[in-house]
Amino acid sequence: MSTPPSVNLDEEAESLDSEISAIRAELRTLQHRRRVLASSLLSSRPLQRLAKSQSPSQTSTTTTTKSWTDLSPLLHSSSLHSNLNHHRIAFSTTAFPFTDPSPTAEAKNLLGLRIDICARDGTYTKPYYILLRKVRRDTADGKGKGKVKGEQQRLLYVHRHTIPAVVDVSALERVYLPRLTGATTGKNTAQNGDGGEIEQDVDEEEEEAQLKPWKRKVLNGSRKQDLKAFVREVRRQLVVWHLRCDAVRYLRERLGVVRRGEQGAGGLGYGDEEDGVWERDVLVEGNQETRIARNELGIVSLGATALEAVYVRVEWEDGRVGRFKISNAGLVERAVVMGDSGRDKLMEGVMTGGRVETLLDRLMNSRKYASEPKHPAASPSEVASRTVSEV
Amino acid sequence: MSVVIMARFKSIRAPTTASLPNNLHIPSSNPSLIKTFGKLTRQALLDLVFQWLEDSNVRQFPPYLQVDEDAEGDEDGNEEGLLPYPAERTINGVRNAYQELQFRKGGKREVIDRILEGDWRHGITLRQLAMVDLRYMDDHPAGLRWTALELSRINSSPSNDLSACIPRVHASTFLSSLQQQISPLVKAHYHLARSTSLPLTVLRVFVATSPYQLAPRQAVESLTDSARIIYVAFPDSCPFIYTSIASSPTASKASRDTPNSPIATDARSLQRLVRDAIPKALSLPHHRYTLKPTSLTAKSLEALLALRGPGRSNRANGAFSIFADAALEGSPLDPRPSNTVSPDEHVRQSMSILSKKSRDKENTATDERGSSTKNGPPLKRSSTDTKAGGISKRRTLALQSRFGTSGTLSSAPLDRLDVRLLDALPGGATATEQVQQPTISLTFTGTDVIGGVHKLAELGIIDAEKMPSWMTGEEGVSALMVRKGKRVPRADG
Repeated sequence: MSTPPSVNLDEEAESLDSEISAIRAELRTLQHRRRVLASSLLSSRPLQRLAKSQSPSQTSTTTTTKSWTDLSPLLHSSSLHSNLNHHRIAFSTTAFPFTDPSPTAEAKNLLGLRIDICARDGTYTKPYYILLRKVRRDTADGKGKGKVKGEQQRLLYVHRHTIPAVVDVSALERVYLPRLTGATTGKNTAQNGDGGEIEQDVDEEEEEAQLKPWKRKVLNGSRKQDLKAFVREVRRQLVVWHLRCDAVRYLRERLGVVRRGEQGAGGLGYGDEEDGVWERDVLVEGNQETRIARNELGIVSLGATALEAVYVRVEWEDGRVGRFKISNAGLVERAVVMGDSGRDKLMEGVMTGGRVETLLDRLMNSRKYASEPKHPAASPSEVASRTVSEV
Repeated sequence: MSVVIMARFKSIRAPTTASLPNNLHIPSSNPSLIKTFGKLTRQALLDLVFQWLEDSNVRQFPPYLQVDEDAEGDEDGNEEGLLPYPAERTINGVRNAYQELQFRKGGKREVIDRILEGDWRHGITLRQLAMVDLRYMDDHPAGLRWTALELSRINSSPSNDLSACIPRVHASTFLSSLQQQISPLVKAHYHLARSTSLPLTVLRVFVATSPYQLAPRQAVESLTDSARIIYVAFPDSCPFIYTSIASSPTASKASRDTPNSPIATDARSLQRLVRDAIPKALSLPHHRYTLKPTSLTAKSLEALLALRGPGRSNRANGAFSIFADAALEGSPLDPRPSNTVSPDEHVRQSMSILSKKSRDKENTATDERGSSTKNGPPLKRSSTDTKAGGISKRRTLALQSRFGTSGTLSSAPLDRLDVRLLDALPGGATATEQVQQPTISLTFTGTDVIGGVHKLAELGIIDAEKMPSWMTGEEGVSALMVRKGKRVPRADG
């Protein structure tokens, strides 16, 4: 009552504004939910089955079928969509046509490939796309080589793609979708002389082939483009990469991750004065700094060294630093642990050989095994300290 | 006797392979230091000072303390009174002094004065200078022009190794091998730091002119020459590096002034030296790298990261940015048919961007109306206006199909776009005419060239359907040659 009215009004307006925005957000989420529910209802199996049973059984009476299609273009489209989704889930790689909107594009019709990869938590990552363009090439020119095939070749080029640099698409393309077939190199130079059409991407491979003709023969070796193998390899590398990332995330989560600036960071055993080991997780977007929660293994930090997540760096409380490599099969392939007094071969042995996911269990077991006979008194005090820190 | 020998030692300058030491002091009286420090804001300066005074760092950047003074004698103590900033006795005292400055409002000049004339009056080390420069870069990400270069494997037989070649930069190993490469030719100071705002590791190389030990006299001018500083940025997990280029015209002029020197010691050739050394330093046995140009130069590091970075948008821009942003379709678990879901929702940045977009639309609408009332005969204007209203739907569709999400959801601002058109002039071009065929060079400059083209197309000045694809930023380069609307690879001849 004693406060001036203007402040009161301001406060009121502010609270009202925040209330309004909260309600709007709520509305938006509810609308979103309604749409999801409606479309999942439409694509639900009983409804779809009903629609299917309805339409063929009464094909003779045109009115009912018409009514079904009239009544339910939504039903129809959602059934198509759910079919599409089933394909995407089941086959993981799907193809689609795409039209290049560029008016100057030579090949307007592109072949799109979509790769869906399921992550550890059951969600799907952003789909990866590869767009291929078809290029017709006459091999009947006969300028470069004596052989005249007299037929058109259809070559696939990778036009655009959204595969991150972790997977080297251009290298894979060079292997699985080779462009050097027949007399193309000879023809290429002829084209350059004309000043006519020049290939959009003259690969360095082609340049190299021109410079080193002896190599070209080996490369040429009547290799054909193999789209299936190309896609298989790209997908394999993407999946392996995601699995590695997931494994590292899983290890970090098991140890417990504390975000900087979050409540309870001090309660996990780190005082303010110990504020040194905050790190940025490479696998998480954004610059949020995190650290590993205090754990009985004494691991202070664990994280992938790069986005590829092939190498993982581990750091212990006592200053030991380790690094291990995750193989494509998900095993810890190699491990190096360095302490103040040289390498810790025992730890390396414990780490290598098994799957990445069981790494912490192995470390735990070895620790139990090592600590029991040697220092029986050490464990209770440790437990005590842990409980203290937890309290 | 021994003193004489010491003095003579100092006068001999021998070529060594050591790098310039971190703790090489530049006298604080050097006027260029004030300029360098003056680039930073007051808060940034204070942050840096606190960083220097941290327990782990203070040994490398010791401030000037009273204790040092006492050892030398009382005479300096008298002088002390004359100086504007009396030396503190402890490091905590220095910290408190800056804490005070932190709480007090004021100009940055008093902080600079305090640093240069007070606590670091005995000189600023090269490392401190590097930290100042990098801090400036963090605060001003568009302060330099960056060129993206691709690291590619030499002689990699394709069938053996299909895994991507992403060089791993291990800081200390890399620096020592870089130093091995450079040291026979020039001396340099290296500073490697992590960018605070972007996924980058930045290397700052300061190159001195010769491999000889620096004479103290020489140090004063040459150690603060900004043309001798080279920045190399290593983005995380991708086979690209970004280098800064010095302002080339001045550097080349300087080199022409001294044509007699046997070894080119101008800033530009020194930079080339460092650039050539980088792939060698990254190479491993049987794993050699070389640098290839990627014809992308831009001021904004974000643009470089988007176009030559670790992400999805390296090879999918312009019309294809819908794929990079995954704005076309949702995840396979989404029950909603994808044509009913807006691209924004697909990208899941719905709230902020939706509101922004609607605001943008309003703005353009008012702009158009404003222009129609202002200039031009009203009748004609209104007719075009109505037409525009009819077209706008089609135009927005064309815009969406040509530009995808670039310019709205994602952006990679290019500040300069150089295009050379190699098309022959319309009309019969015979073989003889082709010799003197003109080439037209276009240069677009601005804060965001592609965004500007987008805007022009939105206003109907550029026909979105007919324009060639390089105008939509599809190629992801800043310099290109075009024939018949298609990008032509850079001709060797």
